[in-house]
Amino acid sequence: MVFLGGQVLPGNVGRAILGPFADQRAVDALNHSLGVDRPLLVQYGSWIWNFLHGDMGTSYVFRAPVAPFVIDALGNSMKLALVAFVLVVPIGILGGVIAALNFNRPLDRIISLGGLSVTVLPEFVTGIILILIFGVWLRWLPIAAAWPKGAGFFTQLYYLTLPSLPLFLVLFGYIARMARSGMIEALDSDYTRTAVLKGLPWRMVIWRHVLRNALLPTITVIATQTGYLIGGLVVIETLFRYQGIGSLIFTAARGKDFPMLEAGILTIGIVYAVATLIADFLYSVLNPRIRLGAEQ
Amino acid sequence: MSKNYRILDLLRRGRTPLENHLIDGLIDGRISRREFVRHGSLLGLSLPLLGRIGMAAGFGAAPSLARAGAPGATIRVGSSVPAAAIDPVTIADAGGLLVMQQVAEFLCIDGPDLVLKPALAESWSPNTDGTVWTFKLRKGVKFHSGGEMKADDVVASIDRLADPANSSNALSVFSGILQKGATKKVDDYTVEFHLDAPNGNFPYMVSSDNYNAVIIPASYKGGYEQSFDGTGPFKIEKYTPKVGASFVRNDDYWGEKALPDRTEFTFFTDIQPQILALQGGQIDIINQMPVLAGVAVLNDPNVEVISLKSSAHQQLHMHCDEGPTKDARVRRAIALCLDREKLAAGLMKGRAVLGNDSPFAAVYPSTDTSVPQRKQDIAQAKQLMEAAGAGKGFKMTLTTERYLEIPEYAQLIQNWVKEIGIELELNILDQSAYYGDAVFGKSNWLDSAMGITDYGHRGVPNVYLAAPLKSDGTWNAAHFKNKDYDQMAASYIAALDLEAQKATAGKIQKLLLEETPVIFGYFYDYLTATAKGVTGVQPTAMSQLFLEKASKG
Repeated sequence: MVFLGGQVLPGNVGRAILGPFADQRAVDALNHSLGVDRPLLVQYGSWIWNFLHGDMGTSYVFRAPVAPFVIDALGNSMKLALVAFVLVVPIGILGGVIAALNFNRPLDRIISLGGLSVTVLPEFVTGIILILIFGVWLRWLPIAAAWPKGAGFFTQLYYLTLPSLPLFLVLFGYIARMARSGMIEALDSDYTRTAVLKGLPWRMVIWRHVLRNALLPTITVIATQTGYLIGGLVVIETLFRYQGIGSLIFTAARGKDFPMLEAGILTIGIVYAVATLIADFLYSVLNPRIRLGAEQ
Repeated sequence: MSKNYRILDLLRRGRTPLENHLIDGLIDGRISRREFVRHGSLLGLSLPLLGRIGMAAGFGAAPSLARAGAPGATIRVGSSVPAAAIDPVTIADAGGLLVMQQVAEFLCIDGPDLVLKPALAESWSPNTDGTVWTFKLRKGVKFHSGGEMKADDVVASIDRLADPANSSNALSVFSGILQKGATKKVDDYTVEFHLDAPNGNFPYMVSSDNYNAVIIPASYKGGYEQSFDGTGPFKIEKYTPKVGASFVRNDDYWGEKALPDRTEFTFFTDIQPQILALQGGQIDIINQMPVLAGVAVLNDPNVEVISLKSSAHQQLHMHCDEGPTKDARVRRAIALCLDREKLAAGLMKGRAVLGNDSPFAAVYPSTDTSVPQRKQDIAQAKQLMEAAGAGKGFKMTLTTERYLEIPEYAQLIQNWVKEIGIELELNILDQSAYYGDAVFGKSNWLDSAMGITDYGHRGVPNVYLAAPLKSDGTWNAAHFKNKDYDQMAASYIAALDLEAQKATAGKIQKLLLEETPVIFGYFYDYLTATAKGVTGVQPTAMSQLFLEKASKG
């Protein structure tokens, strides 16, 4: 699909590399040396063949193997996603829980409205505002997410703080809202009433009975956001000058660097699949009905 | 100041008739001192000699160059990401050529004042008709890999670029000028270029103005990123594609050693993060800052903006062979709608000079400044429309690229031409969609009835005069075919003498005003931003950045 889609786009690889003002003879010579003047099926066949043998191919544009680029970018993306994830999931759930426990009181309104307002602001807006505040005026945090060579864990974390904040803002409202509505539903349910009536301590009721049930839909939401957190951050990556897989794919598509594009997209596909698998697994841990169903 | 004819006579001894004619022009006041220095350097006269002639002719000493700063700094530069593998043969983007130019050098350098300065070549001179140019190479220049730079390396480097089998990005510069095999070694330190036709501006084609034309070892077989070999004042320390590059001082450099210990280049995909990084103190220099994006720092007291006059511009082409713009009167009417003063002062924040619908920008010494400037004149435009039978107006589409200020420029034009009844529909495309395959029939750029295209800076107008305007030009988006023009352009390109160039330039300027296949609304400045206290930074309008004299206060 990606292979074919890429072929339909206007322009060709040699032209993309040499630019519009290059001599046509030079473009033809480059296309020939890259092998992109061969019939489509031949190109596709040789690409699939190499890929199945573990060779992701050679970038047309960088004339170097694709694999190190993709692996580096994926690693970077996962680090950023992880920082954002660790920030947003507990705080988002906590916010939702607090909001639900204060249902219709001012605190609920503040969390729900505030969360929703920052969620609808696109990350390039919040990103620039945060950079201006923390990077340019206060100078507390570095603007570029790329840490110096050989930086340790905490330095990396320090560099990733600012870029993960806009992601936090985008996702917080979403997760908090899901957690809140799940909580409200669970709090309102018969089993909660039973648990309270049989005299269990309030904390135990929330922890054992309400949260477990309330979080199920939230986990699905979080899992679907993992793909976005890893592959969809082109804007954040550009703004914070971070070499993630989102911008890798974006530039590959613009430069008609098909080997890079295909490897990048396949990698993201795998990440999606793995994230969904983990979500399903967590779901079954939290939801005995599914687990038991499987055993029967 | 009085003229010292005795010294002048001494200095003129042994000069060629062409060189003496130039000196006559200076003495008689037909050409200015600036024009004299620039054209003299083109003919291969050394700058000290030009300075002495200028003094003797009563012009006083040339202003001395910037004072030396403190050595030892690490200079941090923000620049655009090299779009492809860095290879002198194929390189075509600003980010890439900037990295390459840190380590590799040219035969001569087209400075910010458009005066050619010797680099790897010490001097050069044409034969009488400008078909053969002889370059004398500097002795004792060492590549970073150890060998001495000699004529064989120059022949191989230039030949590689002129070979159609090599995917050379410089092929469009050399096409019709220099063939493969026409660069000849005379001895180890002398090279001759045998041109296809007389060319008075040839040294620019092998200067930094042709950014591919760096001199690298003759043995080069590709894979430049493995070696980054060159002769420059800096050597590569590390290059990471898409991330950045760092360089260290080359202590074996043939010239004055570089002041900075190191330089660090950080690549950015966008200009806004670069501006934030400069303001946040994470970089010292933004190599290239477009006016619109840079508005925020143009008046920032912590930022200094280096503004170079350049010949970069946006060409608004109109089809001359079909549709309503087939009539030259309609094309002139459209050109008369533009308020150029407003474009330069408003859209470009004063960082541009007016264009007069020809490639002859004010920066070129050969530009005939006596040709009247075209100004907004709606009444005359309406008359022309009437005369052309288009008084009721018409609808057409303006196709262009989403790049720099072009979309805003297109909107201004759309508003202006409304006054003469032309309804323009804007079709603003992504750059790759606009350029397409960049050949006729497969490109929105070359096939659109009306379009706006960005053209980068050139030290001489030769490229602009040929490909976009000549009848057989490969970038002739206006489909302009005019035999008189072709002849004039050829004779301009061949002329060795500044006054002959000027005379032809004037004729070309008048013809293009009459025909107006392309509207040249303004020529915009090349901006480099530095943090306060950073000195000695020397950019060129070709996106090159010379850092050997840079220091931090």
